[in-house]
Amino acid sequence: MSLNLLLVADSDSQLLACQALARCAEEQRVRVTVNAVPRDGTPARVIEALRRVGPVWNLSMRHLLAESRLSNFDAIGVYLTGSKLAEFRSLYRTSRRQQRLPVRPLFCGFNGVVLERFEEAIAWRLGYDLICLNGPRDQARLELMLRHTPFAAQRTVLTGLGRNPAGAALTERRNRLVFAEQVVMPADAAERRRMVRILAALARRSPDWEVLIRPRVAPHETTFHAVRTHISQTLLDAVGTPPANLKLSYEPLAELLGGARLLVTVSSTALFDALDLGCKPVVMADFGLRQDLGTPFFAASGLLCQLEGAADIDSLAEVPEPDPDWLRWVGYHPDCSTHNLLAALQEQTGTKQPAPAQLEHPGYVINAGELANNQLRRAAEAAIRRRDRQEAIRLLEVAQLQRPDNRNIGRRLAALRLRNPLVRFLALLVSPRFRP
Amino acid sequence: MRLALISDTAQALQACLRLAQALRGVGAEVALITAPELVPSLSEGIWPLRAPQATLVLDPLAAAASELLGQVDAAGVFLASPRLQPFLHSQRQAARLRRHRSTPLFTGPLLPMTGDALSADLLPRLGYDLLCLPGDAQVEELSWLIRGTAHERQAHEAIGLWSLPTRPIGHGEVREPLLVVLEQERIPASARDTALLYSRLRSLALASPSWQVRLQPDHPLPADPREWSEISLAWHHQQDDRPPQNLQLGQLADLPFCLMQASACLGISSPWLLSAMVWGKPTVVLGEYGIRTEFNSPLFFASGVMRRLADCQPLEELLQAPAPNAHWLEGLGWGIADGPQRLLRRLQELAR
Repeated sequence: MSLNLLLVADSDSQLLACQALARCAEEQRVRVTVNAVPRDGTPARVIEALRRVGPVWNLSMRHLLAESRLSNFDAIGVYLTGSKLAEFRSLYRTSRRQQRLPVRPLFCGFNGVVLERFEEAIAWRLGYDLICLNGPRDQARLELMLRHTPFAAQRTVLTGLGRNPAGAALTERRNRLVFAEQVVMPADAAERRRMVRILAALARRSPDWEVLIRPRVAPHETTFHAVRTHISQTLLDAVGTPPANLKLSYEPLAELLGGARLLVTVSSTALFDALDLGCKPVVMADFGLRQDLGTPFFAASGLLCQLEGAADIDSLAEVPEPDPDWLRWVGYHPDCSTHNLLAALQEQTGTKQPAPAQLEHPGYVINAGELANNQLRRAAEAAIRRRDRQEAIRLLEVAQLQRPDNRNIGRRLAALRLRNPLVRFLALLVSPRFRP
Repeated sequence: MRLALISDTAQALQACLRLAQALRGVGAEVALITAPELVPSLSEGIWPLRAPQATLVLDPLAAAASELLGQVDAAGVFLASPRLQPFLHSQRQAARLRRHRSTPLFTGPLLPMTGDALSADLLPRLGYDLLCLPGDAQVEELSWLIRGTAHERQAHEAIGLWSLPTRPIGHGEVREPLLVVLEQERIPASARDTALLYSRLRSLALASPSWQVRLQPDHPLPADPREWSEISLAWHHQQDDRPPQNLQLGQLADLPFCLMQASACLGISSPWLLSAMVWGKPTVVLGEYGIRTEFNSPLFFASGVMRRLADCQPLEELLQAPAPNAHWLEGLGWGIADGPQRLLRRLQELAR
């Protein structure tokens, strides 16, 4: 294959998804550049890991769309949150049309397993040339949602849940259990305290084992979900002095899994990383099968285990292998891989790009409709009112891209960009506010 | 067949009344058991349904373990989620202690749902002898939920839109055209959004003086208007010093009749929109909020009747609004005409 791909992402989990895609593409000699949209709190180690795979750019959306090298890519993969996904698609196509430059296929996907809000997520992704889905389970859900609608022809491709290149597994493993923490599953503070108490008790019952809680983010980092109480604080509140063999670890998950015998999680995608890396996964079923925990997704995995009732960690190691039918159904199978995406893109390069899908249909509303300039400006004013300066700048930059000649947008944006808070305040007072 | 239907919420009681009526229509004898906290609802009801005098008031968990359940051929359990599994366990345990065969129990979502809402609703119902679902779309989603699990053989039956009135009630004759706006609890989710929606509906009413616009709550409001939430159109209507004469507030008890009289119906995601659709009323699902899980809009994604409020003017245009997507409506259960017979047949098999 001779593809040259650009991946665009901003938050940490999206960058991790790009990293996985880039690694698999690398094996097939596909060149991948990642643009990590600058954002406060993005873990530096995620960016460093990306640099090891290929070139990393740090352009804002505005600079990226104006970047002359954009035409060099054969396709662009976008890994952003819902509204930004729709925004990118709309702006990219508009700016290419305005500059009379070729339009490349756009694809998007998900960052790991989709435990909730699937339909909403699809409603943001409609209109992309290709939507990457994990496996047959998600494909069935998409088909049910779009069947008998004008969007039924939406193209999809199954890219699977395998995210680590084969051969990375170590054979020497320590008596170590890694717990992959998630920031909102469970979300309830009392349940989170119970979760760490269960882990502490298990560690006490298993002195020959080391239990490592791997926090989803470090206390100063950010992720898609807002974290109220960091897990390190929960551990302190719920257990006080934890047993000596229970620790927090911020080592990269892949490294921890490479040397550990067990991974335990409530519903994290890390379960599939563990499978990739030869570490035995167990699903913590102590909170039951609940939609808000994402656990129903794992119900048929064969990996469910009550940790509270387990004699010790050795008994957990007896949990059987994951059910092969379930693995195939959710997309952890050689039939579902990045290779499918690359093959579909390869097929599209060189051929004439089909016209972008029509998204406006009477009687149907999607989240990804064309962005109205007024809508952006109204949202920017709302962001100014709630003092979210970065968001206001971002929205106005998008509005300016659509209407580069509008002087009022330019003035408002210039005011927002002023560094001195007092000067900025005054400039915002005098610059023309948007009034629909 | 002798059946009991057990409820512990006002919504479940309404659904049970409707189901009881349908099951009696196909020859079953149906008793209603309802929780003590519902006694006030027994006298209220939504016209034309009233709870019969014979309704038994009993704590549901006490009913589960009582001799009563041994006297019926099957029981429908429509309790709040946290009580569903305790009920099932109590009833089975009591039957075991008495060395009796346990009475077949059936249950199911009270409303058509999809996605996360449906999964969350179905999970505590797994293990019941029979799950009643509205249509084939929900059957498909259930099959994904139980695939490969201990509940893989969960018995289920699609019995149509059983909890909603789908048969016309009375005649729909009004002098002036009437737009019914269905108001839902906490949707939209903020006072600001509700205020904005109210002001837009107000302008709509002012722009169409020949129409009556009725804000129709689809859920109970506190009797004292001072207790109404800011996140309700009713509150904003009450705060309005000079509401347009043709913009009124409806009463919950009048909901089905009001819908029957409607010339057109509008809402965000109220289940009553489905009743309006199957009654052939021109219906609009408001599209301003997009497809949002917490607003239950994924259910209406494929309806084919979503549009923005700005596209609803003049209101006369609504009279020509396109019909809903028939495939979608059929998948939700509208295609099933013999729901009560199907349910009865399955219960007879279970009772054998």
